[in-house]
Amino acid sequence: MAEEDDKGYRWETEYEKTWEELHEDESGSLQATVSDLLHRAKRKQFMERVTNVRLGMMRHLLIVIDASSAMSDQDLKPTRLVATLKLLEMFVDEYFDQNPISQIGFLMSRNKKADKITELGGNPRRHIKALQDLATQACQGEFSLQNSLELALSALRNMPSHASRELLVIMGSLTTCDPGDVRETIQAMAEANIRCSVIGLSAEVRVCKRLCQLTGGIYNVILDEPHYKDLLGQHMTPPPASNSTESSLIKMGFPHHSLGGEKGKGEKPSMCMCHLDSKSSQGFSTSGYFCPQCKSKYCELPIECKACGLTLVSAPHLARSYHHLFPPGSYKEFLSSDVVTDGPLCCYACQVEILDPHVYVCEKCEQNFCLDCDLFVHETLHSCPGCASFRNLQTIQAMSLS
Amino acid sequence: LNVDGLLVYFPYDYIYPEQFLYMQELKRSLDAKGHCVLEMPSGTGKTVSLLSLIISYMQANPLHVTKMIYCSRTVPELEKVVEEMRGLIEYYTQETGEIPNFVGLALSSRKNMCVHPQVSQERDGKTVDGKCHQLTASFVRNRHKSNPNIPVCEFYEEFDSNGRNIPLAPGVYGLDDLREYGRKTGMCPYFLARHAINQAQVIVYSYYYLLDPKIAELVSKELPKQSVVVFDEAHNIDNVCVESMSVKITRKTIDRCNQNIEDLSKQIKRISLNIPMLERSHSFYSYAVYPILLNLTHIHFCVVFKSDYVVSESPPSFLKDCQAKVCIDRKPLRFCSERLSSLLRTLELADIKDYSSLSLVANFATLISTYTKGKSRSIMIEPIMNFSCLDATIAVKPIFDRFQTVVVTSGTLSPLDMYPKILDFQPVTMATFTMTLARPCICPMIVSKGNDQVAISSKFETREDIAVTRNYGNLLVEMVTIVPDGVVCFFTSYIYMETIVAAWYEQGIIDQIQKHKLLFIETQDAAETSLALLNYQKACENGRGAVLLSVARGKVSEGIDFDHHYGRAVIMFGVPYVYTQSRILKARLEYLRDQYQIRENDFLTFDAMRHAAQCVGRALRGKTDYGILIFADKRFSRADKRGKIPRWIQEHLTDNLCNLSIDEAVQVAKRFLRQMAQPFSQKDQLGLSLLTLEQLQSEETQKKIENKIQHV
Repeated sequence: MAEEDDKGYRWETEYEKTWEELHEDESGSLQATVSDLLHRAKRKQFMERVTNVRLGMMRHLLIVIDASSAMSDQDLKPTRLVATLKLLEMFVDEYFDQNPISQIGFLMSRNKKADKITELGGNPRRHIKALQDLATQACQGEFSLQNSLELALSALRNMPSHASRELLVIMGSLTTCDPGDVRETIQAMAEANIRCSVIGLSAEVRVCKRLCQLTGGIYNVILDEPHYKDLLGQHMTPPPASNSTESSLIKMGFPHHSLGGEKGKGEKPSMCMCHLDSKSSQGFSTSGYFCPQCKSKYCELPIECKACGLTLVSAPHLARSYHHLFPPGSYKEFLSSDVVTDGPLCCYACQVEILDPHVYVCEKCEQNFCLDCDLFVHETLHSCPGCASFRNLQTIQAMSLS
Repeated sequence: LNVDGLLVYFPYDYIYPEQFLYMQELKRSLDAKGHCVLEMPSGTGKTVSLLSLIISYMQANPLHVTKMIYCSRTVPELEKVVEEMRGLIEYYTQETGEIPNFVGLALSSRKNMCVHPQVSQERDGKTVDGKCHQLTASFVRNRHKSNPNIPVCEFYEEFDSNGRNIPLAPGVYGLDDLREYGRKTGMCPYFLARHAINQAQVIVYSYYYLLDPKIAELVSKELPKQSVVVFDEAHNIDNVCVESMSVKITRKTIDRCNQNIEDLSKQIKRISLNIPMLERSHSFYSYAVYPILLNLTHIHFCVVFKSDYVVSESPPSFLKDCQAKVCIDRKPLRFCSERLSSLLRTLELADIKDYSSLSLVANFATLISTYTKGKSRSIMIEPIMNFSCLDATIAVKPIFDRFQTVVVTSGTLSPLDMYPKILDFQPVTMATFTMTLARPCICPMIVSKGNDQVAISSKFETREDIAVTRNYGNLLVEMVTIVPDGVVCFFTSYIYMETIVAAWYEQGIIDQIQKHKLLFIETQDAAETSLALLNYQKACENGRGAVLLSVARGKVSEGIDFDHHYGRAVIMFGVPYVYTQSRILKARLEYLRDQYQIRENDFLTFDAMRHAAQCVGRALRGKTDYGILIFADKRFSRADKRGKIPRWIQEHLTDNLCNLSIDEAVQVAKRFLRQMAQPFSQKDQLGLSLLTLEQLQSEETQKKIENKIQHV
């Protein structure tokens, strides 16, 4: 149908039987089984994550955003593209929170072409700004997988070999319009050791599945918006390093934030390196981070020094990357009928009675947790509240880590 | 694995519940020495269940069942069966520690099996047959003895001198293995296989070797009564039967025939002049040949004579007519075919290919005089003579009578009770199985109206209706935008497809489709179609996506699988009724009504629905596969049609999926595709649709799987 029709009448384009969906949930058919499956799969994913594995902590992640006409579909509100961009903004924030020493970059594909939106970089604000700009642009033309891959390949090829190279394609379109044989490009990606993952917004496409299989990435298709968010969340944690990435010692600088204007020294305000190109007066101040090697000034971390190439991070950043290497031990699943307690069975974290047939028990502190808290602990908190509240356990933990 | 007290070696670790039930049913009918009709969806391992049960049964009761004859349709299917069998035998060897004394064999035409360096280069089956005959006929070989310059096939010579006495080593021989074996030992694989049929426990070959009386006479004559015959993919078996007994004669054939006769008489004169000392045989010629010639010319005359109006009549009246007009009795006609072949042999004419049209006419004469019942002959205004068999039972009846157990099985046999009726036999067991699935991977829908609430249908009255074609077009456009990779559409006929595509082109629908997917169309030209198919698969493979427009009953709908991404959705535009105005069909319907009390309408619906099911079933070839099946016609939602869809589809066709409009269908499909794209592993299947040995034995699962089967 023509595009005008799609936008014109809401009652024509979207036919949602909301009452039916509710019904299905209760009767435990389709929807419920699938969501149950998902929940379990999520936990399984945590179980499968092995500790003491080499992780690619320094990540170079490129995200390809589909901006073809398929992205103007309204099955995600208000449109697929806007919803995607909103989620990606959150993703960028979270990504740098979890992977402070990594970099990210964005590409876009429409009209059978692929364009760079932002270069690989460690500055979340720049990326978010670019994403916000993108939201105002129209989706048009067709998506091209091959062109996107080629562009990503050229950008990632020159990255240092100790860092992981990743590509995430967010694809709303079901077709790709390629100038040549996409399979060759996929092969090239595999050879360049770039891990490609795809999140599909509508259905499973064969070529994407192949891409992910060959390059070791994961392929998922969203069910709805919360699920979309979960899937993006999967890409937050660093993937295990492949064998071919070499390990090397990296020189890093830990600049202190100096507020400037120290008394007696009579320091003058200066331009920071990151805003050197812009015409605005932003970044012109006395405060900032000074590279310990060459004394060039930056207004935010982490960043690679433009003058001497030193990686500048702050100590908390590194510490935060730490939990990927030593995640809290996964909880064991028990049937709640098997767990003997006096009084009602309560979750140690949220103190709410556990009604679910399953209960999760930390192996170290032997406290009970509900499924939600289990996920929360392992996804966001990264430390077990039970273990943290017993002093003797903490020392054990510390010893085991060291 | 223990099935009903019989120890069955099953080559896989896991078994589907329906496979287990299938074997139970099979065992029951073997015990009863009766026939059975079983329907089980494709991709659930019919072949391996059949093989492992019957072979185990043979090992356990060597007296009751001595041979298994597995008939399938195409060469690739035969190969698949052989592969399964090989796996099974390997498993046997592993389990028992010794190689079982067992020979499995595949047989195909000379074209597929010949290893002769020159002959095997030929592409056309008939040419290969002819050339082979030239090299192997007994008189050629006799002449070769006196004159070594006359070429013979050394492979056949080798086989003839040694092969007959050496039995084949135990094992499984596919077509390739036989060719390989033939090359190694220098024996002709074709004749070797034909010879080894008597020795083999399992024979895998095409329907025609058993059904067509002419071939069956040669190949399958010596098979013992204690054989089990399996017809796989048997949903079209009645048509195969009918085809194998029908002859079509056109003017061209008659002309060629005349020429042949002249040639022959020249030959006869030459021989009778040249070799006067063969006095006795000469008299034989004159005795045998002239009546034939007479017969043939007379038939020819009478055809020409009658060619100016349309006649449809039964054999007795035709014969009577013949007698009245050209004074031929029934008896000489009857032996026409035999005499012709003996004549050719005595005349030492090697190249039988040239005489194919003559033998066709001779065949016709034989058939017409042998079977007096259930046949009809019709002559069109164009001098085409169709001699068609109306009764499928004629070909298949001897088989049901001769062998103790005949298994008729396919993925789409619904409604089951129709088959025994039209094939005229009494089955012991009739059952249909559904797929046990860990997730609902079939999404059948009946789309009956467009967004504008106009009913869509391929009904004759609404064919030209612009609203209907537009709605069909909209349906396809909507579907191609939301379905990834491959979409296959089936139309009811080539003509209908052409008119609709033309209408779509005018309405701009084709352009819209091509925005999303490439468009391929099946044509009547086989080469063109296979090229289209190749490109279609390529387009599915590299993510461009493609739509294939094809025709029910066409080549695509019968032999080609669209598994996984090759067919994520199948759309059936209209109910594929046969062309009801054809004379042959009319005659057949009439016959069925008179003889078997099957109403015309019932048969037509049955035929249409089995083709529809066959078409949509193309997309789903296994449990990890998933697909959308759309029936786009208002008439599908009527009870008589809905009830005839195979049970494994019907199970998923709930009431809220019938009678949808295009929008609703799109929403359902969208949600379905998202759910199906979620990761799915073997672990999720375990216990539900995959069973280990222990699980199978537990009481609980026994009960659970009980309801997967439905006896008819």
